[in-house]
Amino acid sequence: MVAHSRGAGALRPSGRVNAPRPALVEAGACGAPVRVNRQAVAFLREEWRVVDRWWTDEPVDRRYFDLVLESGQNVCVYRDEEAGCWFSQRA
Amino acid sequence: MIACLLIPGFELRAALRSRPGVGLEPAALAPEPGSEPLVGPVTAAAQAAGVEPGMRLGEALATCPRLVLVERDPAAVELEWEGVLRRLEDAGFAVEPAEPGVVSFETKGVERLYGGLEAALSRALASVGTAWEPRVGASRRRFAALAAASVARPGQAIVVADAEERRFLAPLPLSLLPLAPERYAELEGLGVRRLGELAALPEPAVAERFGPEGRESWRLARGGSGERVRGRRPAAELVEALEFPEAVGNELTLRRALGSLLDRLLARPEREGKPLRKLAVSARLVGGGSWRRTATLRDATAERSRLRAALGPKLAELPAPVVELRVEAVELAEHTGTQLELVRPQGEVLGARLTEGLRQVRAGVGSGSVCAVVEVAPWSRIPEARALFVPRDE
Repeated sequence: MVAHSRGAGALRPSGRVNAPRPALVEAGACGAPVRVNRQAVAFLREEWRVVDRWWTDEPVDRRYFDLVLESGQNVCVYRDEEAGCWFSQRA
Repeated sequence: MIACLLIPGFELRAALRSRPGVGLEPAALAPEPGSEPLVGPVTAAAQAAGVEPGMRLGEALATCPRLVLVERDPAAVELEWEGVLRRLEDAGFAVEPAEPGVVSFETKGVERLYGGLEAALSRALASVGTAWEPRVGASRRRFAALAAASVARPGQAIVVADAEERRFLAPLPLSLLPLAPERYAELEGLGVRRLGELAALPEPAVAERFGPEGRESWRLARGGSGERVRGRRPAAELVEALEFPEAVGNELTLRRALGSLLDRLLARPEREGKPLRKLAVSARLVGGGSWRRTATLRDATAERSRLRAALGPKLAELPAPVVELRVEAVELAEHTGTQLELVRPQGEVLGARLTEGLRQVRAGVGSGSVCAVVEVAPWSRIPEARALFVPRDE
């Protein structure tokens, strides 16, 4: 497999497959996203929580949302409850 | 305007050209050999007797015991369809055929020639001929034109104005959409029976439930895209045929005959040294009927061995012994400046080329740029912990 050559940022000599990428998310009152990357959310398909590695120095506490945007695009985003940031990732 | 000319049941009509009397009897196109036993298009008499296109063969024969099954004749379909297209082209229309019986064309270039849109559409209908019972629809968008043609009567032209497009499509049935049968049932189960009802649904909801196919149907229900019609390139008229003194079923003999036909085709001066892009092999079968397969080459070529490799395996699909074999150059490509190779590369050579390619990528981009994906914890609940990129520098 050949790593993507577009831009130096895309070149990863080694690393994790499907690493999370920062996402621009506006959340509603209940914490669910209402806009993702400036596109309105049409449907919330599924929501789940991943809490893991709490016994380590790098605990994982994520709230995932599987969404359909108004353009018809399907996206999966999560809120990192530890860092308080949003990321997009293929679940 | 985009116009769509429709000839329903074209395959049956073409197969009946050699048996005109059968057209007045209850008749249906026989199922394709090896496929599900469903009847194809049916004649008006068969429809009056209760036989519908797409009905199971057993049910159709039980409904109408006098039903005549007409054998498929793909070569006749191809020939007749080409005739229809040529007549339209002779009348000045740049046609884009979708399938036998459905063709689109732009009217813009010929409206002034014939004195308006309606006159141009009448000319198109007349050039096809009343025997085919063609009908035509016109609109700014292709799907609306097709829908108009499918509700028109034989010989009628329906023009759908821009403002009336949505209103025109709304009461039409979903069967106009290119959907799988189970999708229609699913939509009907949800109470959606008309194009207007589908168009009224929000797009994300349709996309979420039915995926890309559903979204495309939703767009079509709202008129579809205004994609322009691209007139086809006229087909090449290069055909070679070989008639056998008696029917041949032996594949080896047929392959030899194919090789000889290809030699003759490649030697034709009309080819002007151009490589072939698309070829067709057809056969007249013993006891009537015909068979036809086409092959489009990824790289246009005039190499006999490559043409044989593309068409040869298709001979194994012949359903019956053959009395005549034909090879046709459907489309020729322009000359290309391909670099010839003296020796064909083999497995090891190809492997060495890949290795060399990867080496060049590493040299250009740096060490660690070529990686392999290695699964480390596919069961993990954390998606990025399931696999790793591992550099492959060897």
